[in-house]
Amino acid sequence: MDKASRRFTWLYAKSQLKLKYRYTALGFLWNLLEPGLFLGVLSFVFSVVNRMRIADYAVFLFSALVPWRYFEKVVTTCMDSIVQGDWLLKKLPVSPFALPVTRWIVASAEFGFSFLVVFVLFAVLKTQWTIHCLVLPLSAIPWSLLGLGLGLVCAALFTFFRDIRPVVQMGLMFAFFTAPILFKPDLFSGHSIQRAMIAWHPVTYLAALFQKPLYEGTWPSVLDWSVSFGVAAASLLAGFLLVRKSRGQFYFYL
Amino acid sequence: MSTLNGGGDVFRLEGVSVSFRRNAIEERSLKHALAALVKDRGPSLYRALQDVTLTVRRGEHVGVIGRNGAGKSTLLRVLARVITPQEGRVYVDRSCHVVPLLELGIGFQADLSGVENAHIAGALMGYSYADIDSKMEAIVDFAELDGFIHEPVKNYSSGMYARLAFALATDVEPEVLLVDEVFGVGDEFFMEKCVERMRRLMSGGTTTVFVSHNLDFLVGQCDRLIWLDEGRVVSDGPAPVVAKAYRAARGTS
Repeated sequence: MDKASRRFTWLYAKSQLKLKYRYTALGFLWNLLEPGLFLGVLSFVFSVVNRMRIADYAVFLFSALVPWRYFEKVVTTCMDSIVQGDWLLKKLPVSPFALPVTRWIVASAEFGFSFLVVFVLFAVLKTQWTIHCLVLPLSAIPWSLLGLGLGLVCAALFTFFRDIRPVVQMGLMFAFFTAPILFKPDLFSGHSIQRAMIAWHPVTYLAALFQKPLYEGTWPSVLDWSVSFGVAAASLLAGFLLVRKSRGQFYFYL
Repeated sequence: MSTLNGGGDVFRLEGVSVSFRRNAIEERSLKHALAALVKDRGPSLYRALQDVTLTVRRGEHVGVIGRNGAGKSTLLRVLARVITPQEGRVYVDRSCHVVPLLELGIGFQADLSGVENAHIAGALMGYSYADIDSKMEAIVDFAELDGFIHEPVKNYSSGMYARLAFALATDVEPEVLLVDEVFGVGDEFFMEKCVERMRRLMSGGTTTVFVSHNLDFLVGQCDRLIWLDEGRVVSDGPAPVVAKAYRAARGTS
């Protein structure tokens, strides 16, 4: 991105956040209550399914569900960012990266707010706090980069093929329900196909970056970090190369 | 897109062609792309610019004329680096600060104030927050928005909106200005103000490329006219000569 596009991206993202809350007295509060309510209902339902104490299950669930929702939001909002930015890309020589990156910044700020909710809830639910929680800012990085990378890939593809939205949504849904976010991996026996699938699922390792420090009170393993950062770097590279390669074509599809 | 190193040229186009697909919305789908692949069916194309070769030198004032659909706006978008042509080469002197004024108020957000919008739109034109801050008083003066600049622009009249956008683009004195028919906005008084501001910029050395249907205005302001028809350059030369030929061809001389 050139200097003008970087400057615009930052100012535009700030304005989007400002506008979101400017005219709504309860705007900021809703941003905290909405994920709180969602997490509350889910923890009640799934604690029954998983036969766990609700407080214990809620800590397990929230620890990976909050970063997942952030990742999902980045991918889905980035997807139509270039198409919806036609008012700009057809009039000024702005880098096409500016629009998905703006959505990513806005979603990242909202993720920060959501985590405030989680900490408030954890203050009630969690009995023991360990030093491992200090690693959480680092744990958020691969989630964020993976979301941006896939968001860029989806933004480029959606510009050319408007019918990929349901494909992406189904893919995300599949990834969510097959990853150990709602359920614990030890629900399945050691040699089952489900256990093997979990071991090969990249989200397993990303989820562990939050579940281990928050729920288990341990450090994420080297494998967790390696897989998470590896997948995030690969998706970011793919997204960057795809948007850069297609940038001259976007105008003709907007 | 390549860079011109020094010399007096700001833009140089060599054999530039731009084609648009005549595609309907449903053709922008994975389903259609796969079907086209199977049936080996290429897209139907419309050539907006065909083999255009021209140069714009530093300090020149160039007008682009032609009928609707002749390729004038496409040419301006190629110069502004908004469109990447499928064929030919575009050389741009990157040391020049180019401000495209293809539409007034690009980047304005209805719920943001005039000041906030000025910073966002200013960033799009390549100006820093400090640049815009230092010019804010002059911008407000020109746009006659004293007392309204902190109001959301959705409360502005169309004239106020246009004045702010035009003041923003021109008060910072760009080195190259690309203008696409933006003087049709606002009242007569505002138009006069805009033309006066443009004259001042042009006499101050700003390179300008105008797209307009107002031939008298172009002949009065430009050294040179480029006449486009069906995407091709029909004539490129001194403004009075090209204007005379254009009028003769249209039977309006």
